[in-house]
Amino acid sequence: MGDIRKAAVIGAGTMGAAIAAQFANAGTPVLLLDIVPAGAKSRNALAEGAIAKMLKTDPAPFMSKSAAKLVAPGNIEDDLGKLAECDWIVEAIVERLDIKQDLYRKIETVRKPGCAVSSNTSTIPLAKLVEGMGEGFARDFLITHFFNPPRYMRLLELVTGPATDAALADSVEKFADVRLGKSIVRTKDSPGFIANRLGVYWLMLGVIEALDAGLTIEGADAVMSKPMGIPKTGVFGLIDLVGLDLMPHINASLGATLPKGDAFHAANRDLPLIKKMIAEGYIGRKGKGGFYRKTAAGREAIDLASGDYRPVQKSNLREAEAKLGKLLSFDTKAAKYAWRVLGQTLSYAASLVGDAADNIDAIDTAMRLGYNWRYGPFELIDLIGVDVLVEKLAKDGFAVPAFLNAARGKKFYQLTGGKREYFGADGVYHPLQRPAGVLLLEDIKRTGKPVLKNASASVWDVGDGVLCFEYTSKSNSLDAQNLELLSQTIDFLPKAHKALVIYNEGQNFSAGANLGLGLFAANIAAWSEIEKLVTAGHDVYKKLKYAPFPSVAAPFGMALGGGCEILLHTSAVQAHAEAYVGLVECGVGLVPAWGGCSEMLARWAANPRMPHGPMPAAAKVFEIVSTATVSKSAAEAKEFMFLKADDGISMNRDRLLADAKARALALVEGYAAPVPATYRLPGASGAVAMGIAADEFRRKGVATTYDMVVAGELAGVLSGGAADIIDEVTEKEILALERAAFMRLIKNQGTLARIETMLTTGKPLRN
Amino acid sequence: MQNYTAPLRDMRFVLHELHGAEPLPGQEEFSVELLDTILEEAGKFCTEQLLPINASGDLEGCTYENGVVHTPKGFKEAYKGFSEAGWGALNAAQKYGGQGAPETIAKLVEEMICSTNLSFGLYPGLTHGASLALESHGSEELKDFYLPKMVSGEWSGTMCLTEPHCGTDLGLLRTKAAPQNDGSYKISGAKIFISAGEHDLTENIIHLVLARLPDAPAGVKGISLFLVPKFLPNAEGRPGARNGVSCAAIEHKMGIKASATCQMNFDDATGWLVGTPHKGMQAMFVMMNSERLSVGTQGLGIGEIAYQSAVSYARERLQGRSLSGVKHPDKPADPLIVHPDIRRMLLTMRANNEGCRALCVWVAQAMDRAALAADPVERAEYEEFVALLTPVVKALFTDLGFESASTAMQVYGGHGYIRDHGIEQLARDARIAMIYEGTNGIQALDLVGRKLPANLGRSLRRFFHPVSEFIEAHSGHPALGKLVQGYARAFGALQLATAYIAEKGMSDPEEAGAAATDYLRLFGLVALGFMWVRMAVIAVDKMGGEDAEFYQAKIVTARFFMQRILPQAGALLFTIKAGKAPLMDMAEAAF
Repeated sequence: MGDIRKAAVIGAGTMGAAIAAQFANAGTPVLLLDIVPAGAKSRNALAEGAIAKMLKTDPAPFMSKSAAKLVAPGNIEDDLGKLAECDWIVEAIVERLDIKQDLYRKIETVRKPGCAVSSNTSTIPLAKLVEGMGEGFARDFLITHFFNPPRYMRLLELVTGPATDAALADSVEKFADVRLGKSIVRTKDSPGFIANRLGVYWLMLGVIEALDAGLTIEGADAVMSKPMGIPKTGVFGLIDLVGLDLMPHINASLGATLPKGDAFHAANRDLPLIKKMIAEGYIGRKGKGGFYRKTAAGREAIDLASGDYRPVQKSNLREAEAKLGKLLSFDTKAAKYAWRVLGQTLSYAASLVGDAADNIDAIDTAMRLGYNWRYGPFELIDLIGVDVLVEKLAKDGFAVPAFLNAARGKKFYQLTGGKREYFGADGVYHPLQRPAGVLLLEDIKRTGKPVLKNASASVWDVGDGVLCFEYTSKSNSLDAQNLELLSQTIDFLPKAHKALVIYNEGQNFSAGANLGLGLFAANIAAWSEIEKLVTAGHDVYKKLKYAPFPSVAAPFGMALGGGCEILLHTSAVQAHAEAYVGLVECGVGLVPAWGGCSEMLARWAANPRMPHGPMPAAAKVFEIVSTATVSKSAAEAKEFMFLKADDGISMNRDRLLADAKARALALVEGYAAPVPATYRLPGASGAVAMGIAADEFRRKGVATTYDMVVAGELAGVLSGGAADIIDEVTEKEILALERAAFMRLIKNQGTLARIETMLTTGKPLRN
Repeated sequence: MQNYTAPLRDMRFVLHELHGAEPLPGQEEFSVELLDTILEEAGKFCTEQLLPINASGDLEGCTYENGVVHTPKGFKEAYKGFSEAGWGALNAAQKYGGQGAPETIAKLVEEMICSTNLSFGLYPGLTHGASLALESHGSEELKDFYLPKMVSGEWSGTMCLTEPHCGTDLGLLRTKAAPQNDGSYKISGAKIFISAGEHDLTENIIHLVLARLPDAPAGVKGISLFLVPKFLPNAEGRPGARNGVSCAAIEHKMGIKASATCQMNFDDATGWLVGTPHKGMQAMFVMMNSERLSVGTQGLGIGEIAYQSAVSYARERLQGRSLSGVKHPDKPADPLIVHPDIRRMLLTMRANNEGCRALCVWVAQAMDRAALAADPVERAEYEEFVALLTPVVKALFTDLGFESASTAMQVYGGHGYIRDHGIEQLARDARIAMIYEGTNGIQALDLVGRKLPANLGRSLRRFFHPVSEFIEAHSGHPALGKLVQGYARAFGALQLATAYIAEKGMSDPEEAGAAATDYLRLFGLVALGFMWVRMAVIAVDKMGGEDAEFYQAKIVTARFFMQRILPQAGALLFTIKAGKAPLMDMAEAAF
């Protein structure tokens, strides 16, 4: 089997449709088929309805509107023949063996040889699915278990059977990795695979232990989250998110398929409260509420004893703020709960090595990417200490699996010569292998020292003459120090290197300048310091733009404000598909002042699709920036021209650095720094026109009084200030306008109130 | 001799020329003329009634006998005159019989009282503080019943916080309150250091007592406030049966000897809850904030009489000759005042006093505006300003007050150290103000730990922005540009120190703690400097008119402050930036 050029997804339910959307996001045409519903007007009603619904869903399954056009809706009666064109067919229909096999038989009549067929089942073993289906089918069949929502959850569990063709499985894995952007964990053909087997066990324990201990759900969630790096939804919040109604199905399936001695059975208790809640429609966030619900009076939580709702209590447990080791040493109800749930979960995880997974890395990766745990179970055990855990488990009469005993006196992960090794099921350490073509700064940092470094940034040699500039400040915020180091890097690089990549491995690329520092400086009237920082940003970003070597920024997650402006100044961008890019300064009462205005003006003015004259480009940038627009994907960032049309997009986060480096190296040959743009801007009359547009928003009640002040300043910059239409305006002049507008706004109480509210509540103030 | 004339000219300058503004709603009747009359009358009362019993009161002290405390000779009469003239009711709410005067004028009157008789001032001062706490948190019933008597001065008030084992750390408090069926409580416990806990000036004493309810959470979040009268009032509001409150002893102190500092026992004393259960600290803080500003005023009051006494001595005392040649050939020696070092001392006292007075009225004006401004946003902003400046005023003014008393003693030489001239009394009286109402160390921690980081530094804006705007507007001033630019450097030092503490203190509270006291002093000096540049700008404009001498002296004093005092800002910045290491590096055992 070769490249996957066309795919099909059968089953247009939530998962199937969203898997199809992800194929489309990858640029791969995909058929989305479902049955012909009785009495519907359109025979494709189910697939069409699913696509229409996805276009309105938030968070969106599609990365751009144009991606939606790559999904062709159809039905399995009329369009079965089209499957012959496909290279991969994903089945995502109801979890019933007979119905699945009926479908497989139909597929067998049309699919071309070597076309991969996979099921998205989460409960039916592969062995059962291929039973009686014939050799040819078994060779091309595998399980690809996506997590919900498929666009955003990075985990893909991949299960092959003894008959599955290895080369076919490899090409599916490669496509899923490189094109769909998933991290693949190969699991054994055992019930629930890895993530759900362990995750559901953990959730069930979390519920029954809280019931037994008489804990509030808020208390349980508070303690079963932060200390172990688990998302703050904890146990009950997560069940609300996935849906209470799913629990009995998964439990029944696991209960029926897992062997008798499995620890899961002890946790699979019948819970009358959950039954009652499901019966009454309290199935979680998608229903009228779950363990938590929102009412007009505020958030409410269910009382586990009475089953009645009451206002959410702030837990204020000191246990919830403790580090993991400390937490386990407390002798309190909440701490004991945390220990009982976590201890048994970790013990269970150890028992899955060799059963559900080949090694601990598969289990850790599955829990990190499938349940968003910061640490996998074996990383957690290393934090606690293997011996400490074993002793505590034994003391409380919990099982100590042989594999855990074998690790006594050791750690599950160790560093040897800067390389990470894991403790194998064979009792020996093995090096952790990254998939081919994956380059991670994390690995580079383990083996070397930074080339340059200060308190807010580091520079790493990533090989082949490329340096990588990494923010190390809190939340990768931009400050005087990382600007200074960037400036030094630009001077340093040409001496022995060829190109620069700006990249990091934090939660987000950068959400912009350090607003907290800025607000504090403004509060103490340190105006000259603030102005110095604005000027420094201008100088360094322009230095980067006009440097004699190519630079590539590699954004992922949020790239906002100053974190967006740097993208506007590099030679090219290689973005992760999940890059949320925007100039959001207006939201906090400021204007982009590190060249954001000038660069966006130049980009839109050069856009051949824009009408001629100075006004259209300025008006377009005004529209984008005054509303603090943020793209919801890298693809959308191109639509706003935060990225250029030929900038690259990497689907897999782990491949971003390698892709960015390759792009930078490709630019080296014959690289010439850009020539400064000159501008023709609409001047005062243009500013008036933008003001009228903004005023329209105000009259509609969309813009606030202070929005008008900010929009006025922005219009002043984008129109070129006092420029006359016939004058040519230089980049320098626009930068001076940016700086002056910024300084006027930062002194305004309205702006300071916006910044303070953003920092304290995380929400914009609409003053 | 303790030498004092009420500094009315300077007070009028501060009140009208520096901080003059349209009266706030509800204070329209307080015209410039009325305010001046109040100042004059207060000055007269203080110099004629309070000053004469200051030294004698110190000598005699309070006496204790079988649970009864006698104030020194003349205090009863003075108190009667004070109350009858309505001085205690000056800034009390009109609803309860007060005059509702602005806080600005009240603080200036307080300064005069503290100059002339600090011990005496404590009695009505505490009553005022207790009334404020009651007014802001008490039930209507309690307020209607008690406040009129307290405002009129017929009954006095106290605040009972400290216990033998807990002063600064009130979370350790043990006094208990047991709920009764009739809605009252039985209060039991021991309190110490209770100013005016027992005395013979009023027919009844109303104690505000911090105690714990039976179901109270541990720590400061489990403290409630109770009103406990010495005599339980009868239905007609007259003192009736004696309550279970008694004074076990009075303390023998270094100073303020005419103020009774009592050990109080509460033995199933009947009391009533003020405010909500377990929220006593909130109510108490209303009183404490106002009290802290008043204690700051005590420092200023002592500083003023110390200065005036030293000036008169420096003029009279003939000793040695001027370094630049004989100045008074007709006399056996030149007066002390010819000497540069004597002038250094006198001007230091004067520059600090006048700066503090200006700052005090600025803060008092903000208190008025926080209470009465029409715009709620504006009220909140002034409240932030007052909260920010409260620890600065309390600690800086009391530090400087004691320094002034000590400096005055230096001018007097041996004659200051002996009792005859009354100067050593000033030093002894001033010393307590650095300790009570939260030690000055606690004030500094309040400033760096609470006020500075609150709302990401928003409170700081209320001080830093007006200063920055002033500098921007006046650094090109034809006559004073250089003075303003010099001031701007000190302000820059404060900005740097503030940013330094914000950055370091965030990650390591000990860093903030190590910097706290020096930072408060730096903040205080820059605040005084702000008052001085503003005063200088006004004075320069008025040089051509009446009272030129007054304005000339203002400008000279302003220059003195900028050139001889404010440069300390630079040194303080260095001290602060040395960080905690010089303090924490010493092993505990090595002390």
